[in-house]
Amino acid sequence: MLRRAIVEAKRVFGLHSPGRHLAVFPDDTFLVSFPKSGNTWARFLIANLVRPNEKIDFSNVNRVIPGPEVTRNRDLLRIPRPRIIKSHQCFDPRYPRVIYIARDPRDVVVSQYHFQRKRKLVADQFPLSEFVDRFLAGQTCFYGSWGEHLASWVATRHGQPGFLLLKYENMVGDTMHELSKVATFLGLAASAHQIAQAVERSSVDTMRQLEKSQAQLFTSTKNTRQDIPFVRAAKAGGWRSSLPEESAVKIEEAWGHLIRWLGYETTHSDAGSTVSQQADLLVGPRP
Amino acid sequence: MIAHLIAGLKRAFGMYRPRRDLRIWPDDVFLVSFPKSGNTWTRFLIGNLVYPNERVDFANIHHLIPDPYGTSKRDFDRMSRPRIIKSHECFEPRYPRAMYIVRDPRDVVVSQYHYHRKCKKIEDGYPMEKFVARFLAGETCPHGSWGESVTTWLTSRYNDPRFLLLRYEDMVADPRRELARVATFLNIPTDVERISQAVDRSAADRMRKLEKLQSDKNSLTKDSRKDLSFVRAAKSGGWRDELSNDLAGQIEAKWGHIMTFLNYPLATRETGSVEPELAGFMPTGSKR
Repeated sequence: MLRRAIVEAKRVFGLHSPGRHLAVFPDDTFLVSFPKSGNTWARFLIANLVRPNEKIDFSNVNRVIPGPEVTRNRDLLRIPRPRIIKSHQCFDPRYPRVIYIARDPRDVVVSQYHFQRKRKLVADQFPLSEFVDRFLAGQTCFYGSWGEHLASWVATRHGQPGFLLLKYENMVGDTMHELSKVATFLGLAASAHQIAQAVERSSVDTMRQLEKSQAQLFTSTKNTRQDIPFVRAAKAGGWRSSLPEESAVKIEEAWGHLIRWLGYETTHSDAGSTVSQQADLLVGPRP
Repeated sequence: MIAHLIAGLKRAFGMYRPRRDLRIWPDDVFLVSFPKSGNTWTRFLIGNLVYPNERVDFANIHHLIPDPYGTSKRDFDRMSRPRIIKSHECFEPRYPRAMYIVRDPRDVVVSQYHYHRKCKKIEDGYPMEKFVARFLAGETCPHGSWGESVTTWLTSRYNDPRFLLLRYEDMVADPRRELARVATFLNIPTDVERISQAVDRSAADRMRKLEKLQSDKNSLTKDSRKDLSFVRAAKSGGWRDELSNDLAGQIEAKWGHIMTFLNYPLATRETGSVEPELAGFMPTGSKR
């Protein structure tokens, strides 16, 4: 009862995190992704771009691009508008403008596996193949499965104004180019120099250095194992060397149609092709 | 500030509506639809099927098949399990099992138009063109557009054993058969008598009579115009009398591909407007 009273008192003063009851404003932009798809890196990139006078690090990124699951309601209402807000939610009709980051699910699962080791949610000896089964069933996080997440956003919003689809792999391949797409989407008149500076300030090396000194200042790294880094490989395609073959096959069987739609190669050409008899529920051109 | 404190106190005692913070149990089943797709009728049908001793009406339906936007957290916590819960949300990954009712969007928009008149959100004579434009943009209710609601559920759960797709039109045509499918999904005996009884107790005529007596006992009808009824035509295809060809065409242009998939014949164009190079976005193999 006392605990409840404290929770409610906090709510009265706006000290709670609103989660999905976040008040959404018509000029908000949401930076959405399934977890472990490069969201934190994208936040660094975008925050460094919109706040060139304030080097972004793990202690201030939540203030510039907050997350409704961790940021207090009071702070969310106080940030200057237009706001850019991080989110891992499946489709939410209230989000007016959305930047969606997609990443190859075979890399996502490996990344999530290591992140959950870091957070002591799985033990070191927990088999990756078993983790993949839970990943496919949408049981490794609160935001549905990778396929549900992607389809819920892309099948509703792709090709519509107010939706920008980014691929993590393209961001790694040509960061400047992808960040300038974001700048255009946000209506920022950013020079090549400003974009280059934001990319530089968000480099893997910079982020690794910052993580070493600031792990306790960031919600995702606080109270986690310090022998496993949060900023890990920061590469695309790592699954080819780390994911058991039968696990890769399972992922392609479940989501081959989505994987191919995004333009990622499947190793088994007929994977997931059972969908072809289904109606097309997707609007707009391929990315 | 005082209002804040009162809200805080109410919350502390569970006297608030949990909405999207509803605590979900693994044996919960959700009855989901876009608004004005037959959700209330289906609640009556299922309520009468599951609780044959209760005779469902507009006063007790919120306890039998509650709505997270209409029932208090305290009442939710006191319900016996397994619970069946009403919802209008777009895809929600936390729902363990869902029955989803779809209805022809051309009928949905007409139904929503009249419901908005009843709720005094629009005046009589409000131009249908304007309403259809807002409907297409997802601006007539807080749950996204018809296309968004349907698409998010179908792309994530179609053909999944945790999901049952119901068509309002099939329910109107053969409510016994469709309710038997629901019973199977809910692991309830499908004996003909019990199903027939539930269908009879949920008939449009009976619901209209109950509505007359109880309109102030249900948040759906409370404080609304009494000259318009909540239980309206209870038919399918009525849009032909109320939508111009042009307006039907606008809906078909935007959602023809979904309507074709759901077997709603298009009146103004050949098939759905899907470009051939686009991939299907439905869930696949392993979950089947």
